[in-house]
Amino acid sequence: MKTYPNGVRALKGVSFDVKRGEFLVIIGLSGSGKSTLLRCLNRLHEPTSGEIIFRSESDGMRKEFDIAKAEGKQIYEVRRKIGMIFQHFNIIERHSVINNVLYGSLGRTSAWRSILGLYSQEDRRKAKDYLDLVGIGDKAHYRASQLSGGQQQRVAIARALMQSPEILLADEPVASLDPATCHTVMDYLRKVNTELGLTVICNLHFLSLVRQYGTRVIALKAGELVYEGHPNDIDEAWFARIYGEGAREVHVN
Amino acid sequence: MSETGGKIRRTIFDAIVFAYLVIFVLVAIMRPDSDELIEQMGFNVALFFGLAFIGGVISLAVSAKGIKTLGEVIYAPAHRRTVSDPDTPLWQTFWGVQLILALIATFVLGWVLTEVNPLLLIEAEPISQAMRLFAEVADPDWSILPKAIMKIIESIFIAFMATAFAVPIAFVLSFISARNIMGKSPIGMVIYTLLRVSFNLSRSIEPILWAIIFTIWVSFGPFAGMLALMVHSIASLAKQYSEIVEGVSDGPIEGIEATGAGRLQTVWFAIVPQIVLPYISYTIYRWDTNLRMATILGFVGGGGIGTMLMEYQGQSRWPQVGTIIVVMAFVVWVMDAFSSHVRAAIK
Repeated sequence: MKTYPNGVRALKGVSFDVKRGEFLVIIGLSGSGKSTLLRCLNRLHEPTSGEIIFRSESDGMRKEFDIAKAEGKQIYEVRRKIGMIFQHFNIIERHSVINNVLYGSLGRTSAWRSILGLYSQEDRRKAKDYLDLVGIGDKAHYRASQLSGGQQQRVAIARALMQSPEILLADEPVASLDPATCHTVMDYLRKVNTELGLTVICNLHFLSLVRQYGTRVIALKAGELVYEGHPNDIDEAWFARIYGEGAREVHVN
Repeated sequence: MSETGGKIRRTIFDAIVFAYLVIFVLVAIMRPDSDELIEQMGFNVALFFGLAFIGGVISLAVSAKGIKTLGEVIYAPAHRRTVSDPDTPLWQTFWGVQLILALIATFVLGWVLTEVNPLLLIEAEPISQAMRLFAEVADPDWSILPKAIMKIIESIFIAFMATAFAVPIAFVLSFISARNIMGKSPIGMVIYTLLRVSFNLSRSIEPILWAIIFTIWVSFGPFAGMLALMVHSIASLAKQYSEIVEGVSDGPIEGIEATGAGRLQTVWFAIVPQIVLPYISYTIYRWDTNLRMATILGFVGGGGIGTMLMEYQGQSRWPQVGTIIVVMAFVVWVMDAFSSHVRAAIK
């Protein structure tokens, strides 16, 4: 449950499970609460009430805790385990690509070391590897603003991977990209999902992308969960219920 | 603005305009001199409030009939603002007449109070005196040029040091006086408000007044001038800097926060890159303005070339004054050109 200070109830009684290794897609109209939902998961926004149970399996330890109850430093810890990419990339455009990737390690680097640029050799090597993984290893020393939109989003993915997260949140990751680039970025998301085994939770606009990439889908309407199932099971009737009568599907190829 | 708040403001405004106009007419008819006005201050104030009361009643009565008053035009809440009827000329509307009368009264009053007298400009004797002074200033005494250069260098460094000391202090203050950083907690809002108010207060005191204070504190000389400019610069820069911080986009902040970065890291990696260039731009502009002010701080004992200008001007040595004006104008012009060039280059 999430209620904003102005009284707008962005999310009401939304409850769902995400299994390890899933590619869960969240759909719904603009303003249906998709972004708010993602931001509650890593506490960029404060949920008003409710539980977010996170079963962590790092370092061979099974831990289970409620993200909604995290306080102070625990919140940073939660965010560190959950990578996130955004519609507008949200990388630091004036800084170099490699530095942007290194910022993924800020959560485990002390403030003064990071400000002086003293990242460990291990982290520097990792940053380089992740840039290679998303196919822009040759752009490491470019200024981030010199890259195209699709490349900037791949920098953002590399930064998120740098956190060694267990979950990757993606808020409309391709909404500001052209249709061709859009598939490149989605393919990299699938790659980290299948090859690195990362659980991905992704907001998407286009149903064609949902069917192509999602392993499961949930739909929000006015802050409430209205559908949960397999992407291919969304027929025209469901489409009309989620997006409203008169809505027409747009295809991206 | 609340509905009643708007109504109160509107009525007070109309009341003051009414009292102002009536008193203007009374003064025009009775022509009291200022001693008489001061002697009967108590009565005059009472008269003003009496008239204002009548004005307020009139305003309410007129508004009740649905006629728009000037107060209504100025203080109407945004959602009730309507476009005035284009077919009715300004002088046929109630508020238009109010506005025109108030402007005419103010202009006439201003003419009288500033003792405007165009005839003085064309009297023969003073004109020839002024021309002689111009001629002397226009023929500078270049023998004092080296001394003037030494003094303008002092002014440049007064301005530089004031800026240099102000920048780090203003840098730190700018974050704790930015609403988007401090607005999240009640304590933050208190600090934000206190800082903003104190910036505005110290900015409303001109550097020349600060210089007078500091000449008493640290005695005459460039140090006093530097301190005066520094205080003014801290307040100005902190305000401008914090407005830049308030204008940064949230995207990169979310991006860095999502990595689990701490507060200081978020400021350093998400906010600082966005503000560096505008900060530099404002800083250079501040140095430029400080230099201009530093040239006249000497008049109150704040050091620099102003000291020299004051001495020669006091002795009516116009050719020397001419030299100093040339040096000042040249340096200020160069600094101005340099500053606008740098600011254009880093845009």
